Amino acid sequence: MAATLNGVLENNLAESIIKSRLLMVGAGGIGCELLKNLVLSGFSNIEVIDLDTIDVSNLNRQFLFRKEHVGKSKAQVAKESALKFKADANIVAHHESIFSPEFGLDFFKQFTLVLNALDNRAARNHVNRMCLAADIPLVESGTAGYLGQVTVIKKKLTECYECQPKPTQKTFPGCTIRNTPSEPVHCVVWAKHLFNQLFGEDDPDQDVSPDTEDPELAAEAGQAALSTEAKKDTIGGIERKSTRSWAMETGYDAEKLFNKLFRDDIKYLLSMENLWKKRRAPQPLDFQELPGKGEAMCTGVMRDQRVWSVQECADIFAQSLAALKQDLYSKGDGGTLVWDKDDHNGMDFVCSVANIRAHIFGITLKSKFDIKSIAGNIIPAIATTNAIIAGLIVMETLKILSGNISKCKQVYLNRIPNDRKRLLLPCALDPPNPKCYVCSEKHECTVMLNTQKVTVRVLQDKILKGHLNMIAPDVEIDDGKGTIILSSEEGETEENYDKVLSVFAVGQSSRLKCDDFLQNYSLTINIVHVEKLEEEKEFEVVGDISQFHPTETTTESPVEGHTNGASKSKATEEEDDLLIVEDQVTPDLVSTGRKRPAEDQQDALLIKRKKQESNTEDNEDVIEIS
Amino acid sequence: MDSQSSMDLITEDEAELYDRQIRLWGLDAQRRLRAASVLLIGLKGLGAEVAKNIILSGIKAITLMDHNPVDEEDQMSQFFVSTVAPGQNRAEASASNAQLLNPMVTVTTDTNNPAGKDDNFFKEFDVICATCCPPSLLCRLDKLCFENNIKFFAGDVYGYYGFTFSDLGTHEYLHEEVKVLKPKEGEGQSKTTEKTITSKEKIVFTRLEDELQFDWTADTPAMQKKIRQTPSTFFITRVYQEFLEVHGRRPCISSLEADTKELQNIRLQLLNKLGVPAKVIPEDFYKYGFGELSPVCAIVGGILGQEIIKAVSQKDAPLNNFFFYNGVTDDGLVDKITL
Repeated sequence: MAATLNGVLENNLAESIIKSRLLMVGAGGIGCELLKNLVLSGFSNIEVIDLDTIDVSNLNRQFLFRKEHVGKSKAQVAKESALKFKADANIVAHHESIFSPEFGLDFFKQFTLVLNALDNRAARNHVNRMCLAADIPLVESGTAGYLGQVTVIKKKLTECYECQPKPTQKTFPGCTIRNTPSEPVHCVVWAKHLFNQLFGEDDPDQDVSPDTEDPELAAEAGQAALSTEAKKDTIGGIERKSTRSWAMETGYDAEKLFNKLFRDDIKYLLSMENLWKKRRAPQPLDFQELPGKGEAMCTGVMRDQRVWSVQECADIFAQSLAALKQDLYSKGDGGTLVWDKDDHNGMDFVCSVANIRAHIFGITLKSKFDIKSIAGNIIPAIATTNAIIAGLIVMETLKILSGNISKCKQVYLNRIPNDRKRLLLPCALDPPNPKCYVCSEKHECTVMLNTQKVTVRVLQDKILKGHLNMIAPDVEIDDGKGTIILSSEEGETEENYDKVLSVFAVGQSSRLKCDDFLQNYSLTINIVHVEKLEEEKEFEVVGDISQFHPTETTTESPVEGHTNGASKSKATEEEDDLLIVEDQVTPDLVSTGRKRPAEDQQDALLIKRKKQESNTEDNEDVIEIS
Repeated sequence: MDSQSSMDLITEDEAELYDRQIRLWGLDAQRRLRAASVLLIGLKGLGAEVAKNIILSGIKAITLMDHNPVDEEDQMSQFFVSTVAPGQNRAEASASNAQLLNPMVTVTTDTNNPAGKDDNFFKEFDVICATCCPPSLLCRLDKLCFENNIKFFAGDVYGYYGFTFSDLGTHEYLHEEVKVLKPKEGEGQSKTTEKTITSKEKIVFTRLEDELQFDWTADTPAMQKKIRQTPSTFFITRVYQEFLEVHGRRPCISSLEADTKELQNIRLQLLNKLGVPAKVIPEDFYKYGFGELSPVCAIVGGILGQEIIKAVSQKDAPLNNFFFYNGVTDDGLVDKITL
């Protein structure tokens, strides 16, 4: 081990390595490589946390795992494999969620530093807050395909993970999904919604029937399509019933379901004539008369790699429907299924449904391989990128342990060298954003919403947990009385869930004091009441009250595009700009349940371009890129 | 493309195992990888990283070649043998752990000194990657590879420093570029669409010997500028390569003091011989050049592994032709000396 061999590392560094205690969060693509590097470098007190289990598709890069480990705990197997590099290393494996209360402030405080090897933003946000609270350095990292980056976060010294707003997850307006899809992804989202309607937990945001409140129909006000009376009669009142109960009544009959979804509902959509004045009108399909009927199936090419005919899609729709019905019935009364990209039937169902819908709307059909990428939000991942990034993580770690944290850099792995020969691009770490609602002294942000429409449940689930990354928030109104509207203790405020905020006299300029005990984090929210936000948004979070301009339209968050003040050069943007790959698909597509959410946002960290450090002695090397 | 026969089709099992990389480089690249035989010379820390990366990627076969025994320094970076007692042949000690990474790849070993091998031995391979070899041997292998249309790679790691070199001869590859298409006027929606444009490109490489024999002596402002712009790590790693040439071994911690002195001597001699000022290599460079740091092996081995994958799959522009990593200064630079 490097630290125990005299002459390899400087003495004080070798000592620090031996004495230090590390926490590694994540034992996946980066984690496997990182654990190897750490053990070989001489670190011998390492704790590893990962909730995930090993899948076959991990084995092309997560080299501590082999086929016989599939299904086992990543943390545990990574530990066992790494012990083969050094039998007496002290590695503790936790097959647990990082959000678990057992990993509280006291747990974090025992470490010298924390190394993230994560693949999702929620966990990164959380570890960021825990490290700020414990005041220990965090080395953050991410990879996506050929690209990767490493950065260092230290309270009061550098930006924290949440100092700069991340691009919000792309979502699609309900009416695009339900009425006017124009891209394959719209059909995939619809197909996943349909899966949940038929087999999963009921979510009113995932309606798959034609949307009669489409703003584009406003011009038709007064017409039949808008009238709820007409709606009731159109298709025998089907919309009045939940898709689920109707499907159950038919015994999940493939033909009946097909004809309702792809014939009758489409005919109904066609009756909304305004939608089709400038668009290609959809063409209803009948289960018995499908394109591709009677054609021989193309063999030789892998099933997942070729595009199925509509007839094939219908057959696969029927097969997967029958199989999923069995799965559902086997769960007993009230049971539900959770969609998973790795479940054969669920994936076949979504693929066939998405393609049938795509055909109806004249959208390009895709192979199952491609649809799996979209539906599963899969980011490609390779061993080499992870190896390089894991190496860079340790190099930054060595600087921190040498007492040179100020020399730490944010390093990007590029695909091709820039015009100054750099394949690895080191950038200076930015100081903390004084307006950051997470790491600044004053934790405040502004939320625009309609206090007469937003419920306490929406405040908890979508705003505090979903957007502001809290885990178990308590909320008190800063009204001099300390009215508590939300408590993280079970059974204390459940009766408030379905009440809207105005019931508690929350209105324009109200201040909500939100507290998360686990994260040791508190935040004050300034409420700005608005009647309506664009794109059917329920709320909008603005970083700081001073950034809020009431006159501005709300299409884009005012804090978006907040860069480091460095001017952007167009040339570098084209050639060097790294892709922003995280969360590129709608959150609708993020699987939940059995697996961690966003399991396959493979290690991607938000990749943003920064100005390159220009501290080289040679003047010719001083360059300015973006 | 000779890979269309049904025998060459990727199986469902392979598609499942290699799913995440096929999504990156495509089925055709994967098929090419599966046809490639690689000779990997030198199984120290860097060699182990390269072996791991390309075995995982799904090449056809790899021969691990090393005539040296496992030594004390292997425990800091050679993860195949880090707990093997010194003495056993390094290639043989690595083989079983290397094989476990991917049962679909044929892993064999060779315990002979590559310097003593007949030229014909090397002609069996599609790719030769040489580590732990002195420059004279590297130049011989490179020339032989060029004449026989074999993709040649070299590299080494010394402490915090590392380099890779590629000579792909005349290399054709597919280049993909994503173009963002702006919406047409009057379509109402403001969405942009992306289109991937694939083009066939060709690149011609230089021999290692030409790179190493570059004449630095011209006393011109242009040459001074070139010297300044050449990564310091090029000169640093040449000191270690020269040590390897003269002594037939790397500097090692068991003879730390003597080797340090020798490195300091070689620095001055080499730079003098090349005709470049001594300041291109910091005086205390030797403090950071013993052993192979595991993270440096991971970085340099990651680059080298990916370059081999690129060359075999004929996908994406290869690095032309050196990559230098310096963990003291955080530099990761690509350069071509004869430019």
